[in-house]
Amino acid sequence: MTQTPACTVRIASPLRSYTGGAAKVAADGATLSEVLADLDRQFPGIRFRMIDEQDAIRPHIRLYVDAREVKSLSEAVGACETVHVICALSGG
Amino acid sequence: MILSAAEQSRYQRHLALAEVGPAGQQRLKSARVLIVGAGGLGSPAAMYLAAAGVGTLGIVDCDRVELSNLHRQLLFATADVGRPKTDAACERLAHLNPEIALEAHALELRTANAREVLENYDVILDGTDRLATRYLVNDACVILAKPLVSAAIHRFEGQVMTYVPGRSACYRCLYPEAREGIVANCAEAGVLGVLPGVLGAIQATEAVKLVTGLGEPLAGRLLTYDALEMTFREFPVERRRDCAVCGERPSITVLADQDERCATSLERVRRLAAAELRETLCRGTPAAVVLVDVREPQEFAIGRLEGSINIPIGDLPQRLADIPRGATPIFLCRSGRRSLAACELAMGGGIEAPAHLEGGLLAWAREIDSTFALD
Repeated sequence: MTQTPACTVRIASPLRSYTGGAAKVAADGATLSEVLADLDRQFPGIRFRMIDEQDAIRPHIRLYVDAREVKSLSEAVGACETVHVICALSGG
Repeated sequence: MILSAAEQSRYQRHLALAEVGPAGQQRLKSARVLIVGAGGLGSPAAMYLAAAGVGTLGIVDCDRVELSNLHRQLLFATADVGRPKTDAACERLAHLNPEIALEAHALELRTANAREVLENYDVILDGTDRLATRYLVNDACVILAKPLVSAAIHRFEGQVMTYVPGRSACYRCLYPEAREGIVANCAEAGVLGVLPGVLGAIQATEAVKLVTGLGEPLAGRLLTYDALEMTFREFPVERRRDCAVCGERPSITVLADQDERCATSLERVRRLAAAELRETLCRGTPAAVVLVDVREPQEFAIGRLEGSINIPIGDLPQRLADIPRGATPIFLCRSGRRSLAACELAMGGGIEAPAHLEGGLLAWAREIDSTFALD
């Protein structure tokens, strides 16, 4: 079985408590759904901070693959692409 | 509006820019810009806009200057600690540029006053530290058709976007909903002091551009800044047809504070003062009460109340089953914001009468146990 090459995931600052402070991690998957599943395997609980029980992206989170905004978890993710997790910030 | 000799001298470097020139400087002099929040973002924005010669600058803030503000809020000096921020800010800005008019609004922006405050300004800058106010300011700007430059910060990162009425995505298009407590604020998470300087300066730049008509506003584009990597990134943000305020069939047509929207449900929350919590714990009914600390694990590791369990706020919806049925959860966090949000989540999950520690563990450390460790 061929292993899916890893893409890069950039983690929003408020979610880095899950990644040990890492801003950038690698995750496997050909679709965003697979990438997030792999991310959750590595950092348990992080997916739920972004995706709700109905598999919808939470309203204070935005996901981009490179510069494309993603609205569906079936979005394809290439090996050289970066998934950006962006989160509403409240500080002023 | 004619520039005086003193103004021509003061703004000479602007006048030397052909793109600004006397016409642009006169537009700045005629402009009225409102800054909501005299904090880390509002400080540099206010100073640059005052220096730039914005004719009327309004400042909204109901807080007083605290010592912990000074590592990033350059409007204030050590001697200002304890003073109302609007007083200290206007004094500082008047020293910087006596040619401009300053309007202090020492109030908390609420549903009842937002229209009255905002409607007299041409451009609004949002630098508050309260999500409910961000939505209130956004909704007011959409309803009043005012351009808005919104920025926010967290630890080493910041975001900024400009809303141009009728043309670009608003803050609700960017984030349709966000609750207090789900996202940590500066007091809870910390912030690099110089970070808001960068974002606040960008907000001021956008305001100058909007007033003078120069360049391309940051409309429909979210600009993110990572101070540790020293990178800026730009992400497209489209208008949402289903946006609750600027969409095709808006459900928000009058102003309402997000906190007021959920006030009815929150009336069922029992709000415990630190002394009340101590009494509750002293009564020793462990089966009836469970202390649930909703801070992040690293905060919990620094200091915790004996017997408390840790369920970070973001995990709470999927871990409500960890709270024993029949027990009353008392939610705890650093300041009381996240614990109040936890109560709302718990009620949504079927827990009827949750409680929370008002003022958070900060109040506990201040009023009950001065040795309690907080980050």
